[in-house]
Amino acid sequence: MTTLEHKEPDCVPITELAIDPPHLERITQTQHGGEASIQTAVTADRRAEEAINGVTVLAYRKLGFEIIPCAFSSPDGWVSSRTSDGAPVDEWGRVISYDSRSMTWVPSGSIFSAPEQFDQFPFPDPHASGRTFGIEDMKKRIGDEIALAGLVKDPFACAWEIFNVTNFVRWLYERPNFVRHVIERIADFNVEMIKRLIDAQADLIVCDGDYAEKMGPLVPLNFFREVILPNLRRQADVAHKAGLKFIKHTDGNINPILHDLVSIVDGLHSIDPSASMDMGDLKRRYGDKLILMGNVSTDNLCRKSKQEIEQETKECIRTAAPGGGYILSSSNSWYSDAKLENCLAMVEIGRRYGRYPIHVN
Amino acid sequence: MILASLVKEIQNAFTEGAQIEKVQSLVKKALAESISPIEIMNTMRDGLATVGKKYEQGELFLSELIISGIMAQEVSNILRPYLQNSETEFLGKVVIGTVKGDIHDLGKNLVSMMLTSAGFQVIDLGVDVSQEKFVEAARGDKPEVVAMSCLLTSAMDEMKLIVPRLEEAGVRNRVKVLVGGRPITPDFAREIGADGYGKDAVDAVNVARTALKKAS
Repeated sequence: MTTLEHKEPDCVPITELAIDPPHLERITQTQHGGEASIQTAVTADRRAEEAINGVTVLAYRKLGFEIIPCAFSSPDGWVSSRTSDGAPVDEWGRVISYDSRSMTWVPSGSIFSAPEQFDQFPFPDPHASGRTFGIEDMKKRIGDEIALAGLVKDPFACAWEIFNVTNFVRWLYERPNFVRHVIERIADFNVEMIKRLIDAQADLIVCDGDYAEKMGPLVPLNFFREVILPNLRRQADVAHKAGLKFIKHTDGNINPILHDLVSIVDGLHSIDPSASMDMGDLKRRYGDKLILMGNVSTDNLCRKSKQEIEQETKECIRTAAPGGGYILSSSNSWYSDAKLENCLAMVEIGRRYGRYPIHVN
Repeated sequence: MILASLVKEIQNAFTEGAQIEKVQSLVKKALAESISPIEIMNTMRDGLATVGKKYEQGELFLSELIISGIMAQEVSNILRPYLQNSETEFLGKVVIGTVKGDIHDLGKNLVSMMLTSAGFQVIDLGVDVSQEKFVEAARGDKPEVVAMSCLLTSAMDEMKLIVPRLEEAGVRNRVKVLVGGRPITPDFAREIGADGYGKDAVDAVNVARTALKKAS
């Protein structure tokens, strides 16, 4: 993809890291009734995986998106365990709940109340058979028509969710070596998983999971520099060794760790406008080093008018597209409560004003 | 002198991100030195208020705000038996929940923690809370504050309906309604008839205090 090399392609590429199933169904005018989760594999039911892949490919084709994301699958034969009150638990020990409005499973709790419980929990195996079922199925559907982004969850963000925030923070201060060890183990998993995604012909790797919130990074900077970022680098290095770009998604205000991130990743997604992330500033400072993806406010897709979204999208293109290195996208994903007309307006403006050379008044 | 420095150490422990065990030990030492549990509680709250200000000024991170809240809960647990027979009062009672259609709870939990640490009695209704449950709680628990949270934009429609329900139930004039969450704005809070809007967990405490002052 030309834009990933910081060159101007024919047109600004457009994609989303996720589109909630209700929108997929509206876009494709189908009803597959499936449930999805970009955040965790919730089933080893391969037919269900094929169904969600099918409607996703249909939607991305219809939208003309240039990149399609795909996470790794759960192992063959995997069945989720249950808590004592029947809630399903994913491979990492996160309790997951079904949100009927978005038709997605979301992490909503943890089974761990003590670090020792995690040490005894069967840690996911990246080499288990079936891990690449979903991405291989996706590749068969799209061939070379759409670029395939292999998705992994950031180890810090994963650990933050696995333990619930309160326990994670408590153990970060009371048992810092334990937390460090967990993050390293998840990074080990990801390193192997990235290799498998590459073997399954992923064209780029996206590492999902937040480092920051509106006010700034979630944890002190020394913890980023000592633990989180070295493990991020390990994962990026695997992608780089295979000649692939590595894009880091994170919401929030990442300005305090931007300089560190620039030395590790090839691109950033979200560029969260609700958290003081200035696309123009990023483009000026790092436009030749960082692929910039996002910045159309997910909140605004839900709340603003079509005309306001059109203006916002034009501004993103005007600021970030010249010279290449920009992928048009929302700052997170198309939630089910985003107005579909706004989402489609973002795409339409992208096609109209995203042709190179860029001319946006 | 020694007692004053001990009290200072407890306060500093919050802003310096001390280990929970250290704070627990300091509090036990203070009690052993006959420092009044109310003075210790107030010291803790001062420490927490300082942490809140530093967080809002960007000097501390979210994890530091959370660990301070955890430390405050631990201090409260130690002091509770000593305070049961004392004259200390809660600043007010708050019923809090994430509205129906939304299962996110991080923000709500942080607000609960901060309100509890600041001296409020908090009744947490959990997530996906229906209008009926908010009304029931307003009637039965007789709070001074009903606090509603959401992360999803779609849940804002649900939030709009709760103030009219409280009015229908005849409890609206007994409570202050406070709202917060990622998509919530001051304009939205005004539009739905809420009494206050908290932009984050630290602000929520200030807003709750202000709302109760206006009521009294």
